[in-house]
Amino acid sequence: MAESPGANPCPGTFARAWAKAVSGTSYLPMTQAQLESLLDRLTGQLAGALLTEPFDLRAGHRVGAELVAAHIASAEGLGRTVEVIQLRLVRDLGLVAEDVEDRMARLLAAVTTGYARALRDRTLDEQESIRRAAMRARTQAERALRASEARFRHQATHDPLTGLPNRTLFTERLAAALNEPGRGAQRVGVCFLDLDRFKVVNDTLGHQIGDLLLATVAERLRKSMGEHLVARLGGDEFVILVERTAGTDDMVAVAETALAAVRTPALVDGHELQISASIGIVERQVAGANPTDLMRAADSTLHWAKSAGGARWALYDAERNQRELARYALSAAIPAALERGEFYLDYQPLTSLRDGSLVGVEALVRWRHPELGVLRPDSFIGLAEETGLIVQLGGWVLAEACREAEAWSAGGVAAPFVSVNLAVRQVHRPGLVQEVRALLRRTGLPPERLQLEITESTMMSTAEEPVRALRVLADLGVRIAIDDFGTGYSNLAYLRDLPVTELKVAGEFVAGLRSPSVGRTDERILASLVSLAHALDLTVTAEGVETAGQAERLRAIGCDAAQGWHFGRPAPADRILARIR
Amino acid sequence: MQRPDWAPDTIDIERPSVARMYDYYLGGSHNFAADRAAAQAMVAAVPEAPLMAQANRAFLRRAVHHLADAGIKQFLDIGSGIPTVGNVHEIAQQLDPQARVVYVDVDPVAVAHSREILAGNEQAAVVQEDLRNPEAILAHPDVRKLLDLSQPVAVMVVAVLHFVSDDDRPAELLRTLRDALAPGSYLVLSQASDDGRSEDERAEAERVYRRTDNPLSVRSRAELTTLFDGFELLDPGVVWVPQWRPDTPESAEDAERAVFMGGVGRLGG
Repeated sequence: MAESPGANPCPGTFARAWAKAVSGTSYLPMTQAQLESLLDRLTGQLAGALLTEPFDLRAGHRVGAELVAAHIASAEGLGRTVEVIQLRLVRDLGLVAEDVEDRMARLLAAVTTGYARALRDRTLDEQESIRRAAMRARTQAERALRASEARFRHQATHDPLTGLPNRTLFTERLAAALNEPGRGAQRVGVCFLDLDRFKVVNDTLGHQIGDLLLATVAERLRKSMGEHLVARLGGDEFVILVERTAGTDDMVAVAETALAAVRTPALVDGHELQISASIGIVERQVAGANPTDLMRAADSTLHWAKSAGGARWALYDAERNQRELARYALSAAIPAALERGEFYLDYQPLTSLRDGSLVGVEALVRWRHPELGVLRPDSFIGLAEETGLIVQLGGWVLAEACREAEAWSAGGVAAPFVSVNLAVRQVHRPGLVQEVRALLRRTGLPPERLQLEITESTMMSTAEEPVRALRVLADLGVRIAIDDFGTGYSNLAYLRDLPVTELKVAGEFVAGLRSPSVGRTDERILASLVSLAHALDLTVTAEGVETAGQAERLRAIGCDAAQGWHFGRPAPADRILARIR
Repeated sequence: MQRPDWAPDTIDIERPSVARMYDYYLGGSHNFAADRAAAQAMVAAVPEAPLMAQANRAFLRRAVHHLADAGIKQFLDIGSGIPTVGNVHEIAQQLDPQARVVYVDVDPVAVAHSREILAGNEQAAVVQEDLRNPEAILAHPDVRKLLDLSQPVAVMVVAVLHFVSDDDRPAELLRTLRDALAPGSYLVLSQASDDGRSEDERAEAERVYRRTDNPLSVRSRAELTTLFDGFELLDPGVVWVPQWRPDTPESAEDAERAVFMGGVGRLGG
């Protein structure tokens, strides 16, 4: 503060008048007494300047500057100061000097000059300081904005659970890896990783443990993958992006490392968890690749690894993918094909080896595909079994076979039974008994003229329901045959419990009979099967019989019936039936 | 990318700032063209505007003097604006070099400027925060570092409450502050009042301040008095600011021209 207390404890009349004149012209950070004391001191300087010889401009300058420094710094403050000095200084202080008017004019000029200079400097300083403050505030605001944007961007591109990059960031990085100019000749790879049976952890130990396990796996992957980007796509799906690969070997090495990282038992909240993962690997040239295709390929490949049992990697195979795509397209077309009536049945004769009579026919489904021509069951049944469409398709086959077979008895001759394959899903489905019953009632086909062929694998399950259903059907009089006997599980125990009427022996045993030297073992197996079957009161039909020699040897063994090209290829029902009329 | 709601504002010096307008009223040059234009419009509407600012600043000075004499060593000045001439730390630290002062203002430029002025002053700090967010002020690390809330503090809410609308519940804001204070603390409060003003003048003034980020909410003496709830009002109560313990009897003349009313309350207990 500019005033110096005690300089003049009793300010003179002039200083008081001056203080009164300037108070209110601007904000003065002092009391009236302090102001008067300050002005009293300045009054002394003014009086001195007026009298001193030679006249010193600097004294007036100093007074002007001090006024500004003391914040008596408004235009009004200056005006009133000039006025009060001019009018009262000489009079109030009783000053006597030569040419006092002249000196007064010069003094006022000096005071106002000093005042204006100081005020100008002060104004410029203040302008500079407020601009500096605005600039700093702006810099700070921009920095804060950048930081908040960076924070927001991090949140938007990372997974909160594991802290790994999320799908958004991964997609960006993959797109960048594929699009960067000059990368055309290089190669890029991804490992699409999914934990095996992770759901079991969630279901048995709870989601909290599941989440902790995911975080542990994420941390291990991040550590073991070094510079490669590891992202969590969601759930238990992770992906590793490998840029600039030299070929599939690089990717396999990455996948092996990742599998090893996951495989190490993890201690999570007191539980030691042993988990494995499956990985789909895609590695290709950057040129021509696009992210969507690449990730789709990785996804399919991951499923190959999964369906092969998990805990392994699989490498993308374009041909396999092509086949699967075609198969997928075919399976998707089944419901519409059923609706449009594109399926039909051929029948293959089952011939008695005792007298050559036609004992039955096996219904075989055909698909008259509008583009691909007639398709045999091996090109679409497996697919229908995978997708579950087999229930719908198998139901149609069963109904159609019953409908057609009923008409065959019209000739009066003992009509053959119709043998229909039942898929595992059909047998395990509740309502099979009602379905068959309703069919028989609707078509009027006698139960003993329907044979249901089931595979050994159908009986692998420990479920009791299918056995009970088959027993009900057998009690109705429906024949039950075990198809492809001898190639599967061949557990004989179920023969004890099941109401089986017939064993159909797989064609591969019969094939051995074509050459006498090789066929010895097969012949012995066949002979044993036949005697076992007969001991259990079952009939035996040999499948895949292609030559008269095979037929002869089967007859010699005691086999009851045979099926195969030697006895007739699959054909429409009327062609088969023509033989017995 | 959409800007999240917690992203900070940008600095726009084309928009008048009430802190820099106040500086202009006080005769300072810490202001920009937009501030001067708005302040001049205000002076045209209410010619006493510069006088108001001076009278209010003088009230602040007298109040700080009084509190320092009463033994207060800690000051929390909320809505401190551009801390130019005669600010709290100058007055308080002149009387007691150990006095500690924390300034709070919402205007980022005012805060940046305060920071420059306070550089090297270990006993003073500035915090960018809003009076409407008292919890954040009280919890701010710089406030916690400099002020010991278990000891008496003078909270200055001077010439700022008229920028807080009734919707922001000023009484509750003050209560939050009060509840954090130790017995023997003080509240120094002043704000623009419409007592004795014509409807035209008030409308004109409000129109000027709508150009800023801070529209005006003038209040009556009665309303101001209730804001001291919980405090014992020191003499002479809530008055036109020149009437609050004037240095000389003359300086309290024509007091209502100052537009500002204020008072000082003490927290008993």
